Amino acid sequence: MAHSELYAQIDRYAYINPLAKTSPVTKMLFALSALIISVSSPSPVVPIIVFAATTILLLRLAKIPVHFYLDMLAYPTVMLALSCLIIALFFGTGEPLTQIAFPWFMWTIFKSGIALSVATFLRVEGALSCLFFLVLTTSITDIFITLRRARVPKVLVEMALLIYRYIFVFIEVAEKMNTAQKLRLGHSGWMRRIRSLALLSGNLFIRTLEQGERTLTAMNARGYDGNIRVLEDQPPAKKTALAGIIIFDIMLVLAAYLTLNTGVL
Amino acid sequence: MHIMEGFLPHPWWEIWFAIALPIVAYGVYRLSKLTKKIPEAKPLLALMGAFIFVLSALKLPSVTGSSSHPTGAGLAAVVVGPGITSVLSIIVLIFQALLLAHGGLTTLGANTFSMGIVGPFVAYAIWIAAKKVRLPTSVGIFLAAAIGDLVTYVVTSAQLALVFPTAGGFFDAFLTFGSIFAVTQVPLAIGEGLLAVVLFDFLAKYKGQLLSAMKVIKLPTPASTHKEPKQQ
Repeated sequence: MAHSELYAQIDRYAYINPLAKTSPVTKMLFALSALIISVSSPSPVVPIIVFAATTILLLRLAKIPVHFYLDMLAYPTVMLALSCLIIALFFGTGEPLTQIAFPWFMWTIFKSGIALSVATFLRVEGALSCLFFLVLTTSITDIFITLRRARVPKVLVEMALLIYRYIFVFIEVAEKMNTAQKLRLGHSGWMRRIRSLALLSGNLFIRTLEQGERTLTAMNARGYDGNIRVLEDQPPAKKTALAGIIIFDIMLVLAAYLTLNTGVL
Repeated sequence: MHIMEGFLPHPWWEIWFAIALPIVAYGVYRLSKLTKKIPEAKPLLALMGAFIFVLSALKLPSVTGSSSHPTGAGLAAVVVGPGITSVLSIIVLIFQALLLAHGGLTTLGANTFSMGIVGPFVAYAIWIAAKKVRLPTSVGIFLAAAIGDLVTYVVTSAQLALVFPTAGGFFDAFLTFGSIFAVTQVPLAIGEGLLAVVLFDFLAKYKGQLLSAMKVIKLPTPASTHKEPKQQ
């Protein structure tokens, strides 16, 4: 499962990349503003600029290896290309580009369908690069600290941190039980495998729940009051970096206006 | 059904956020009320979130700018209520976007609306209706989880068809997306329904006290034992 290992690496890079210790506010502001402008822009030029800018920052400043970044992009890009192919061939309205007559129906390819497909492809690639910038440079903990400072309801952040922990408990417990079942010949034959799977899924649920209940008891014993406190040692945002982001965003909006009438075709 | 990052253009991604956020806010209100009243419910709530995360990460690729997978939100809706499920779903969807690049931040509103709002509310309505007409618990859970899952994909198909019309109009595009999803989703929904039945049985067996405190099931009290036999 090379694919899932790839994503396990994302979290690692979020902690070890050279930008890990810089202000999460700056990184989130950059990624989210570029994402929003890029997705909202009607012109296909803005996503291309955003993709180029975030890619250069990721490879140069955050020192993410090129092959890793390409691996990350590969899977969504292949799926996206297939989806866009379907859109180009079967969707769209208005002026037809070409028509192919089959005995049982008339297959029409529309100009607008192809334009829509290309615009979608560029928009998604631009947006993906922003998302990857955020996840490769900023750890989940940093993101949640920032959200808590931004006055997101406390109960929401608490639930998010608990769920985050539980996902890993879930996976750990499942792996242990699966190994135990394998050792006791629980996977010999079809019927036994299905029975083992049913036992695992049911017990996994209860085991994880009980482990969580014990954790909560332990937390209560240490004075848990609904706040999960972590060390907040992120530096404050630098004014020059913030100014740079604002200038970049203004340039993007300008680019969007200047190329407003640039069609894809 | 997670629509890919950036797949929905302006103004659609904003529209889905605007529709989804008030309901999530209602869910946050329900969540803080429940955790104040029954703090012991927190592990169960977090477990339901992790359950949704794991199930909806088991994706089959689909050529619709999206993917096909179980959602887990139906069972969560029955156990913790649809409002709270919408909060759990939005948290899970953020994690999946950030950790797995599955779904996205701009499409968060649309994905929350299909997986965290319509699916769970329909599942909950079916569960309540099944209880009203006195169907066996397992049938009610199966229907709630399976139909809740399918409805989620109906909503996703509609969301995609609104953005990508065909010559035949919205309804034609809707049917195209719907039929692409249906190939993989109908078997998955049945599987999810069966899994939900197994898990709910386990929960009722081992955590009956907690479930009855949350008013999901009624534990037979000594006086009513002969009237309402225990499910297990």
